[in-house]
Amino acid sequence: MSKQYELDDSSVVVVIGSGAGGGTLANELAQKGIDVICLEAGSRLTLADVVNDPPTMDAKMGWHDKRIGNMVWVCKTVGGTTMRWSGVTPRIQEHEFRALSTYGQLDDSTALIDWPLTLDELLPYYEKAEDKMGVSGTGNIPPSAETNNYKVMAAGAKRVGYKKVSSARMAINPVARAGRPGCQQIGFCHTGCAIGAKWSTLYTEIPAAELTGHFELRANTMAVRINHNKKGKATGVVYADADGTLHEQKARAVAVAGNVVETSRILLNSSSSRFPGGLANSSDQVGRNYMRHMFSAALAVMPKPVNFHRGARQTGVIYDEQYHKPERGFAGGYDIEAISADPWNTSAWVGGWGPDNSVFPQNYTHVAGVFSTGEDPPQASNRITLHPTERDTHGLPVPVIEYRDHANSIAMRNHSVEMSRRIFESLGATDFWGGDAPVGCHNMGVARMSANPDDGVTNRWGQTHDIDNLFISDGSTFSTSGAANPTLTIVALAIRQADHIAERMTQKTL
Amino acid sequence: MNDKQTTRRRFLVAALTFSGVASGSLGISFLRSSAAWAAATDDADNLAVMGRLAQLLFPHDGLADSVYGEVIGEVLATTAADPATDGLLAVAEEALDAAQDQAWIDLPESEQLEAMIALQNEAFFAGIRETVRFHLYYHPGLWQHIGYPGSSKEHGGYKFRGFDDIDWLPETE
Ligand SMILES: Cc1cc2nc3c(=O)[nH]c(=O)nc-3n(C[C@H](O)[C@H](O)[C@H](O)COP(=O)(O)OP(=O)(O)OC[C@H]3O[C@@H](n4cnc5c(N)ncnc54)[C@H](O)[C@@H]3O)c2cc1C
Ligand code: SF4
Repeated sequence: MSKQYELDDSSVVVVIGSGAGGGTLANELAQKGIDVICLEAGSRLTLADVVNDPPTMDAKMGWHDKRIGNMVWVCKTVGGTTMRWSGVTPRIQEHEFRALSTYGQLDDSTALIDWPLTLDELLPYYEKAEDKMGVSGTGNIPPSAETNNYKVMAAGAKRVGYKKVSSARMAINPVARAGRPGCQQIGFCHTGCAIGAKWSTLYTEIPAAELTGHFELRANTMAVRINHNKKGKATGVVYADADGTLHEQKARAVAVAGNVVETSRILLNSSSSRFPGGLANSSDQVGRNYMRHMFSAALAVMPKPVNFHRGARQTGVIYDEQYHKPERGFAGGYDIEAISADPWNTSAWVGGWGPDNSVFPQNYTHVAGVFSTGEDPPQASNRITLHPTERDTHGLPVPVIEYRDHANSIAMRNHSVEMSRRIFESLGATDFWGGDAPVGCHNMGVARMSANPDDGVTNRWGQTHDIDNLFISDGSTFSTSGAANPTLTIVALAIRQADHIAERMTQKTL
Repeated sequence: MNDKQTTRRRFLVAALTFSGVASGSLGISFLRSSAAWAAATDDADNLAVMGRLAQLLFPHDGLADSVYGEVIGEVLATTAADPATDGLLAVAEEALDAAQDQAWIDLPESEQLEAMIALQNEAFFAGIRETVRFHLYYHPGLWQHIGYPGSSKEHGGYKFRGFDDIDWLPETE
């Protein structure tokens, strides 16, 4: 039963965003009997709305509000970007939680810190997250089925001497589980899974929360600012409804999970005479240290058919490069993951024009693909700011996204492209392309956890250093990026944060 | 503009951004200018120039000319309803034609390509390139030509239709 709360009910926790972080936190709190309102800018789709046409689905669920600067490929819909994600779910490694101690400070422009949290502490929550999301190859769930594209990657990996190759760690049901069916290998994971085999909060966390009777989803509501009182406590959230009318929802505590760019914008836009630089920003760290992983992509024309469009977009990972081996010429490591592309993506990734480009779509049935995701050292100059004059349709300042590759990422990308080339050429690839993939799928940093309040925005619970009852619940809290795709960690941290909030409420310290 | 066109246009904006084209000043303003482009293209000569340009941008042996023609038609239809700012195609044509004494369309292929290479770093060139890329690689005629079947959910996906049927790889165990 979905609840309805009054605007002046100040006993509720308001969660902004219904994606991986917000959807999970909201459900975890509601399961404990805590009253939660989730504000979600997007509308609520059903599985019947999902069609296998990228432009149509982008219109239904993509984020199209005005932004300036680097591309960020996220969603505005109930479920957030878990509607568009691939489901690859590795864990951050032990040494990556101690990035500064492991790598040393790379140079003057790098702002590496250690997480105020260890892998050991997060382990039980990783296990809970894996169970919740149905991660293949964990617990008693089988690994994911090996698609053609995965098999090409795995065979090439073996030829170049890699040992740690696996089709496990996908948050896609290999077989029916938890009321959701097994994957039918439809292949359009990036435009919403039409059958719900892939984990998305739209059809897991959100309806589960509604069943508790302690949860209200307000779809089509855009949070624009967080209010506070004289004591510096958050008191409520101002949001615009579908007609643009503003309301204020009172709150006992507020959690922000708008996927990094929006999380930065809400905090920065909530400035006041008491907090002139924005909420929770006494450190001037809000919006800074924006990370999006080293990314590279590679495509190859293989000697015989692959048909990589058949089956899940991503189906497995090579872990051999994930370690810190400075002799490779860079700090930290990366994962190589099988990935497929539709014809437009196949051409767009390669870029440019002429036969060097069209050879890939021309030989579409023979193309295989991988992409790599790796450690992205934080830089204070990579940041989200508010445009001084540009306003969007809500009258909000337009976010400006500034991101430049770290030299470490460029060295790592070159290495990953070279290894991708070797993988495919070991099997007789006739054409190869590898390079940058400017997509902005993995967003992290901007409100990072730090032991020292001067170095970051949140503590080890994702609670802001400045404001007791204000929490950050998305990838914004990552102290460093690690190599792993971020979402499993976002979900594990959200489950852990819910435990913490509940405990604080019981102790009456929130 | 009908719904489908609105939808496609929106995605195209994302597509342009994705390909880095819109990271400069182009992107959206480029699309806004396309009504002028459409107006300028309202005759057969211009369509021929655009069609040839599309063919040389993304050559596919054996792909029917009519597909390139339809792609150009789509480009124009998607963008025609936008307020005009400047005539991109006119700019493109003028620039291409300026390369030689003869009209670009009448040049031999090697010289057509030379003219394109000379212009490839111009903003208008990137805009046209990405717009053509988008419409060509979402065109069912192109899909058929390269063996891409498109939507699969109505066929139950590939679980029983060859998602793992590859048989030419060396043994991995
Ligand atoms: C193509 C693609 C593939 C990916 N594949 C993987 C993968 O394989 N593995 C992996 O780990 N990660 C993957 N990701 C990343 C993954 O999608 C994100 O890490 C994850 O969704 C982030 O969760 P989130 O809660 O921070 O944000 P989201 O899931 O984006 O949710 C944020 C929500 O907040 C809402 N919102 C924002 N601002 C406001 C506001 N002001 N008011 C109200 N609501 C607001 C948004 O509408 C959105 O619904 C992929 C991403 C993309 C784009
Ligand atoms: S391949 Fe599997 S997970 Fe991806 S959309 Fe299809 S059924 Fe869903």
